[in-house]
Amino acid sequence: MTRRTARGRLALAAVLVLALVSVFVVRLIDIQVVRAETLNSQAVDKRSIPEEILGMRGDIFDSTGVVLADSVLRYDITASPKTAVESAITPEIAAEKLSPYLGVPAADIVKSIRDAVAADPESDYLYLGKKVDVDAFEKIRALEIPWLYYSSQPARTYPNGAVAGNLIGFVGSANEPQAGVELSEDSCLAGVDGSEVYERSEDGVRIPGSTVTTKQAQNGNDLVLTIESDLQWYVQQTLAKYAQEYGAKWGVVVVQEVKTGRLVAVADYPTVDPNDVDATVNTDISALGSRAFTAPFEPGSTFKTLTTASLLDAGLIDTGTHVTAPYRFTTADGADVNDSESHGTWNLTTTGVLKESSNTGMSQLGLLMTADQRYDYMKKFGLGERTEVDFGAEETGYLGDDWDEDGVPDWDPQTNLASMFGQGITVTAVQMASIYQTIANGGVRMPVSLVAGCRLPDGTMTDVPSSEGTQVISPSAARSTVDMLENVATKGWLASKVSIPGYRVAMKTGTAQQPDGNGGYSKSYLVSMAGMAPADDPQYVVSVNLSGPVNMNTSAATAPIFRDVMTQVLKDHRVVPSGSLSPDLPTNF
Amino acid sequence: MSNLATATLPIQPLRIPRRTAPEPSIEVVANRSQRRARPKVAYAIVVVASLGGLMLSQLALSIALSDGAYTIDRLEVTQKEQARAVQLLGEDLGRLSSPQNLAVNAEALGMVQNANPVWLRMSDGAVIGSPTAAAGGAGVLGTAGSKVANQLLAGVPLVTQLPPAETAETAPTASVAPEASTGATPGAATGETTDAPLASDGRVPAPTTR
Repeated sequence: MTRRTARGRLALAAVLVLALVSVFVVRLIDIQVVRAETLNSQAVDKRSIPEEILGMRGDIFDSTGVVLADSVLRYDITASPKTAVESAITPEIAAEKLSPYLGVPAADIVKSIRDAVAADPESDYLYLGKKVDVDAFEKIRALEIPWLYYSSQPARTYPNGAVAGNLIGFVGSANEPQAGVELSEDSCLAGVDGSEVYERSEDGVRIPGSTVTTKQAQNGNDLVLTIESDLQWYVQQTLAKYAQEYGAKWGVVVVQEVKTGRLVAVADYPTVDPNDVDATVNTDISALGSRAFTAPFEPGSTFKTLTTASLLDAGLIDTGTHVTAPYRFTTADGADVNDSESHGTWNLTTTGVLKESSNTGMSQLGLLMTADQRYDYMKKFGLGERTEVDFGAEETGYLGDDWDEDGVPDWDPQTNLASMFGQGITVTAVQMASIYQTIANGGVRMPVSLVAGCRLPDGTMTDVPSSEGTQVISPSAARSTVDMLENVATKGWLASKVSIPGYRVAMKTGTAQQPDGNGGYSKSYLVSMAGMAPADDPQYVVSVNLSGPVNMNTSAATAPIFRDVMTQVLKDHRVVPSGSLSPDLPTNF
Repeated sequence: MSNLATATLPIQPLRIPRRTAPEPSIEVVANRSQRRARPKVAYAIVVVASLGGLMLSQLALSIALSDGAYTIDRLEVTQKEQARAVQLLGEDLGRLSSPQNLAVNAEALGMVQNANPVWLRMSDGAVIGSPTAAAGGAGVLGTAGSKVANQLLAGVPLVTQLPPAETAETAPTASVAPEASTGATPGAATGETTDAPLASDGRVPAPTTR
């Protein structure tokens, strides 16, 4: 071998190697640079699975720890129609088995699958059932129908049904809040969905170490209400029973804790069952919320308590102030009021005016104070504005709309008198309870609360409502008012219907005319009763309101509800019976 | 070797100087320690074996890892199934413990609420209120029936409607319980009340129930 041939070989080898390397380089650049993006995405599509991680919506609890709203998973069942028609398990065979779990006739299932294929032979996606529960899902899965696919969806269930359904509200089909605290407290309850990407092998197993969390999921927080679900149920049951018996259109009962202002029960009749909203939509759309907050009404005589308390606080009257109350009372400026039933002239004390619920007597007492002063008291009692609860669609009530420059309504002479006994102005049932809470609590109005707070996973509570009260009237004025209301309870015409053995009860009735919508009053009444017990140291306020009870249109319709509910509240909370008797104040002179 | 170099052979006179000239004619002879320091086959074996071992262990590790992936996958499936079972049972418990269901069942079993509460004051034994027996059907639901809707209870049977096979299991315990409580409580209670007015320690005397 010569030196030349050896060199020739070396050069040839080098050229070959170089050629080979350049082929590789070209291919490498082609793959890594030129087609990198398409190839990458193809590869990712093949192996990489993006997955949404559900941030579960928080639960809603009552004050005793009972779950009122629970987050659950429901399952959507989809079929691949093109596979179904070719499968050994035909749509006919499958539909027969699926029908009872989906609640759809078998023929309809077959038809929808066949129709889908007829419309599009490549049809690969058809909903057979949306949001089926775990039980049905497990059973459907056990059928092992190869052309069915499942996906889980977050949903809401309300184990206690309509108990507090008026307050909790409900969510829509996409789990979006639509009413009640579900809506107003959504910032507490809502979870944040996260996402992750992982790769999986051909047989569907996640490749270890391939998971990349792109966004952390965050569960919602729990919401705790001040409501006691057992009591709430009792109040709703009692209210509904009597409301139906008396043929009322709607009714509201509010139970409030005197010392704290917490609402322990707010019952509406009718009430929505959040599990079955459609049933209420079809019968009474106003019942989707809580009329206790959203339906202001002219309260009538239960309002006399506020007028009396204001006059006492201003030092203008005492419990024994003499009033000569005729059946009809007119003023020089043209106002004309009369009592509900014809009577001769009564010689009443302030206590007697409340006991007889005399409009003419109350008008004369009310005139001792200017309209501005009375309006100021109404405002201090929290009227004319939404309560601290700030419930969805909560109303402010109406105190007049002819506003003076100084921000005081310019009531005409008739309204001026009417507003003293609760006509011509409106309040909500919760505002009415709050008036009685203030008087029961020594004149200190506590902020009304429905939500006890938002509970974070570590147990700390945020959004805890204020517990700072405001002194609206003096303790002595409040005490005198309670004393007089006790006399209404013991001497009034419903005395035997509202007495609870062992407890001193204080209450006031109301039978208010309801507007007919044309500036006048209809024949329909709103009957009500509001009161507190035990009157020697009031613990709970109960306010009952029935709208248009056709079978009994007096406040007697509210008495059994008031008594039953108050008894249950006192029993439930182990309230110590009064150790004393109600004061005996003179009602006449 | 030096002897060989000098003993020139006449038959190959040309090649020997050619061969020997560029090469050193002397060579370093390794001493004992240097000989010992020479690489041995053993080392090679160790290196190759450890490399092999490394590869094998990596293989084992990756097998274990993917086996772990399958275990995780299996466990995740189990966890999902169990979470579903928990949810199912939780939902059942929720609906069964709803006040509507409890009240309907209690009244179906004949339990009624007495609408006339009577209080016993512990300090002086005074009875507040007039004790009146509750009338049959005087429950919270009464003849009116349950008025608070709960769609979840649709189709849930009352305890009184359960097939006899299920109630039979609870029957023996139910018949024993009243005996035990009647035996224990009334005797003790009446004994105390007849002797002296109620002495209160601020607590309600509770019957001993087994």
